[in-house]
Amino acid sequence: MSKESTSDVMLDCYEVSKNFGGLQALNDVNLKVKHNTIHSLIGPNGAGKSTLLNVITGMITPTHGSVVFDDKPMLDLSPHEINQLGLAKVFQTPAIFPEMTLIKNVCIPALAARDGAFKLNMFQKAGMKSIESFAEETLEEVGLKDSVHKEARFLSRGDKRRLELAICLAHRPKMLLLDEPTAGMARHETENTILLLRKIADRGMTMVIVEHDMNVVFALSETISVLAQGTIIAEGTPDEVKGNPKVIEAYLGEEQE
Amino acid sequence: MEYVVSILKKFPLTVFSLVILTMPFWFPWIGGYGGLATKIMIWALFALGFDILLGFTGYLSFGHAIFFGVSAYATGLMFKHFSDEIIPAMIVAVVVGTLASVIIGYLTLKKSGIYFSILTLAFGEMLHSSALSTFGSFTGGENGLTLPDMIPSMLGIEMRGEIMFYMTALVLILGFYIARRIGDSPFGLILKAIKSNQERLEYTGIDVQKYKLGAFVISAVFASVAGSLMVVYEPYVGTEYLRWSTSGNLVLMSVMGGVGTLIGPIIGAAFMLYFENVLSVPLGEEWLLVLGLIFMAIVIFLPGGFTDGFKLIYKKLFGNKADGEEK
Repeated sequence: MSKESTSDVMLDCYEVSKNFGGLQALNDVNLKVKHNTIHSLIGPNGAGKSTLLNVITGMITPTHGSVVFDDKPMLDLSPHEINQLGLAKVFQTPAIFPEMTLIKNVCIPALAARDGAFKLNMFQKAGMKSIESFAEETLEEVGLKDSVHKEARFLSRGDKRRLELAICLAHRPKMLLLDEPTAGMARHETENTILLLRKIADRGMTMVIVEHDMNVVFALSETISVLAQGTIIAEGTPDEVKGNPKVIEAYLGEEQE
Repeated sequence: MEYVVSILKKFPLTVFSLVILTMPFWFPWIGGYGGLATKIMIWALFALGFDILLGFTGYLSFGHAIFFGVSAYATGLMFKHFSDEIIPAMIVAVVVGTLASVIIGYLTLKKSGIYFSILTLAFGEMLHSSALSTFGSFTGGENGLTLPDMIPSMLGIEMRGEIMFYMTALVLILGFYIARRIGDSPFGLILKAIKSNQERLEYTGIDVQKYKLGAFVISAVFASVAGSLMVVYEPYVGTEYLRWSTSGNLVLMSVMGGVGTLIGPIIGAAFMLYFENVLSVPLGEEWLLVLGLIFMAIVIFLPGGFTDGFKLIYKKLFGNKADGEEK
């Protein structure tokens, strides 16, 4: 993709810090994610990756610092407002609507995208053609075309994660935040996921991925930021990061490729 | 039989209306009487609205007597001090009930689960006791609000007997139509998603708090209409209208009938009132005990209530072709 031509920053975390009691989970983290790139966030366990992700999605308020997405300040916004601005988080454990059919699962974010955070449309039919066919397309895209009318709770674990992704995509976000998209997956599933994410990214989606599996990280990322003990210790292309002695040191003792 | 069920599925509203409107003809065969039929319509409306909150969003309010009671008192006071015309009285009553629900919903819906239930219960008991003491001079205190020799009327027509029944029945049919439309709407879809996974919904760009308040207020509008109709039917406001036991009965009806099915709570309301007024006669003193046993049996063996029971019977008889809802 054209990395050079789009140099503008989509997500800008500036000096973000977060203390939990005495523990400093994040220490002046600066992170800039550019348009139309896949930006991975790696680091040993407890490095603060999840905390940073939660700060970005509005689940946690940082002790200080700022987060700007698409030129809009994000702090003090509630999760649904952040989502409405175009930032969707793909949960690690699939967060779906288990008792509902797949198509209804996906209609909900599609409606949220069309009608905003609240609309009292009580006398419309829920199965409006355009929303439903859009939901069906989205399900087809993630490879769940055949189970559109199945209840979500009957899906396999892997398919639940596809549905989770479809729910995020149906909102037509500008950026996806993925929390370990391949954790617990078998090898062929991981490969399918890489292909799927690549396909979505190639259509012009910006992504931030937190991931442990270095195969996934190196296969997908344009930029990698390495977090250790709450600070970013290295940042660059996959090749730059691979050879960085600080990174090797941070990972020392951890199994790595 | 299969044919009958397919008609039920295709034209639920028509079948429902026919059953309701012919009630004065068939209800006496099973020991019912006119006034009871009217009372059943009113409670069915109350339970139907409650299902929009409990059945769709999963929020169990133990304070819905508030809206029933407040609206009943408002209706009674309008009759007493203004006129015996029901239209202005009912409009004022529903507005008062709705305003109460906006305030109480705003304050209680920040909590979920048991905390929400307890908060609504606390509000209910607060209002109940203040109706007896603080506002006793308006409400008639312990004696309730008595309206001696009053016959409410609509545009000069006295509201009693069959006319009252048909008016209430039409309101219930309209309510059933509205509730079903809500259930099929995008709004209803999101309410059901609240029950399914509220946290996820917040990360899907939905302002969950507003949807919950919407459901709460809509159910309170149904409760207010029911409370007001109760006073039109029987021009007297009992203190028990505001009491927790009214909220409790409502929950019992919903659970017995089948939460979230809309028709279930209506059947539950009809069953409870029929049981209390007709079947209790041969059972004598022990009728409450029997009702309790029935309730326990339903919760243990049919967690989905009567509607679940109908589905099971249908499945037993005709295989597992039935997967839709029984009407």
